Amino acid sequence: MEAIRNAFDFSDLPRSELIIAALALLFLLLFPVLPHSSFAMATMIQFLMFSLYGMGWNLIGGYGGQVDLGKAQYVGIGAYTTAVLMIRLDMPFWFSLPVGLALAVLWSFIIGYPLFRLKGHYFAIATIATSLVLKDLFEVWNFVGGARGLEIPLKGHLPNWLYLQFKQDYYYFYVLLAMFLVGLIYVNGFRHSRLGFQLRAIKDNENVARSLGIDAHWCKIKAYATATAFVAAVGSFHACYNFNIEPEDVMSLDLSVLIALMAMLGGAGSMWGPIIGAAILVPMKSYLGDWLGGKAGMAGLDLLLYGAIIMFIAAAQPRGLYGIVEALRVRRQR
Amino acid sequence: MALLEVKQVSKHFGGLVANQEVSFTLEQHEVLGLIGPNGAGKTTLFNCIAGFYPVTSGQVLFDGRDITALRDYHIARLGLARTFQIFQASGDLKVLENVMVGAFLRTGSRRKARSAAEGCLDFLGIRAAGGNMMADLPVAAQKRVALATALASDPKLMLLDEVGAGLNKSELEGLVALLNRIHRERGVALLLTEHVLEMVMALSHRVIVLESGQKIAEGEPAEVVKNPEVIRAYLGDHYVRRREIGHA
Repeated sequence: MEAIRNAFDFSDLPRSELIIAALALLFLLLFPVLPHSSFAMATMIQFLMFSLYGMGWNLIGGYGGQVDLGKAQYVGIGAYTTAVLMIRLDMPFWFSLPVGLALAVLWSFIIGYPLFRLKGHYFAIATIATSLVLKDLFEVWNFVGGARGLEIPLKGHLPNWLYLQFKQDYYYFYVLLAMFLVGLIYVNGFRHSRLGFQLRAIKDNENVARSLGIDAHWCKIKAYATATAFVAAVGSFHACYNFNIEPEDVMSLDLSVLIALMAMLGGAGSMWGPIIGAAILVPMKSYLGDWLGGKAGMAGLDLLLYGAIIMFIAAAQPRGLYGIVEALRVRRQR
Repeated sequence: MALLEVKQVSKHFGGLVANQEVSFTLEQHEVLGLIGPNGAGKTTLFNCIAGFYPVTSGQVLFDGRDITALRDYHIARLGLARTFQIFQASGDLKVLENVMVGAFLRTGSRRKARSAAEGCLDFLGIRAAGGNMMADLPVAAQKRVALATALASDPKLMLLDEVGAGLNKSELEGLVALLNRIHRERGVALLLTEHVLEMVMALSHRVIVLESGQKIAEGEPAEVVKNPEVIRAYLGDHYVRRREIGHA
């Protein structure tokens, strides 16, 4: 019971943040009925997906301070589980979602156990490696279509809620918005929970945390598995939304880096951080990519921009844009 | 039954002997001082007791249970809390939240952890600092927060590593009074290492003296300071000889 109360307890946040959040939520709810281009709608869906990825990443990367650059492997596990079960067993989305989630979480426990024996940069590099190895395996695994990937056929008449197949994007938008709200409330409960506190203590000083009876290794694994559930759920959704998945698309290093980058830009270790990061980087990525794609020899320029952002965060404010806002607020109070 | 029993504990780092067959006991509700010159192996012994280092040989019993092979967090759960000489925090947790982390050892409920933490902050007279960041506090207050955090984990025994370091005289007096209250009102046994001998002498029922990793003396504070071995360890041979000549 207390866990549920904690999840809905926003009372420790400043009122200004709650007002902005409420307005943003109102905008999101009304977005499909406002005039918009289909490109804008696709961008909004990307924004919600990356917000959820980032919220998941933030549990271990932000609150736990363990920079994880291998989240794409779990997007892949979620997406592939849903696609395979739909194609081979005709299983609806709502059944394949929990199966994908369970498989991803299982995998996260298996590799989390050795991964968290490593610290700092070594941990980050190892997460990249595990994700890339899994992607390479999927590229040569014929059962899941190898490098060409899988294509989910249409199942009966549209709209099909069972298989999450729709003609209009706003259906997808609302499904995703519901997932987004569930995720947000979960994160709010998480940061009030014992595990949330223990993770932040580990980030502060692992030796002190251990001296307070915290099994740091096990706490990190638990948070990593929870983060995985977020990412895998969106992966499952991605399979239905795109109809077509391939390793290069759902398991690439680019995706892993983008997930971490957005959360870090917005503010690792804060509740709104990943959402702020996605709200800035996703539109920038879509519109910039679209614009640059039309110009010869400029297609890689966005990568340069990501590099600059990483440098900016590392130098100016490790807690990202939200950290800057927080610092300003503290200064004004004095 | 003794609360803590250290039996023939040795700790070697390669060829370096940090502790050599150290034995002592700490009774229920006792305050025991552990003193010795720099490099005597006090902190190493602490780390061995608290499970931060595996011992090379020997045995540690806590509350009748063999804890020699247990992990540090496991030992903490049994009720043995330690504080650190240097307390660095990256600044993610506010003071109250920091203390709540200690309280979360005994409860899964945020409400209970919060009220326990507030109780501890109150007890140590720093309730008002609850909303501050650790880094914004003066050193003396930071030490109190560390004590409050350890206290919130509801320990039977606290290992205090140089809690007095870096404090001025009046701050030290405040700390001694505070530790006395923790001991008397909360019934917590204390094992403390200290460079500031005055503080150990004022607090401890008994004192153990380490030099070069070995126990060289044990007894009541007033006796121990008269022990020629102890004087030699702190001040050198020269002073012992002069005293002997003077007495003769």
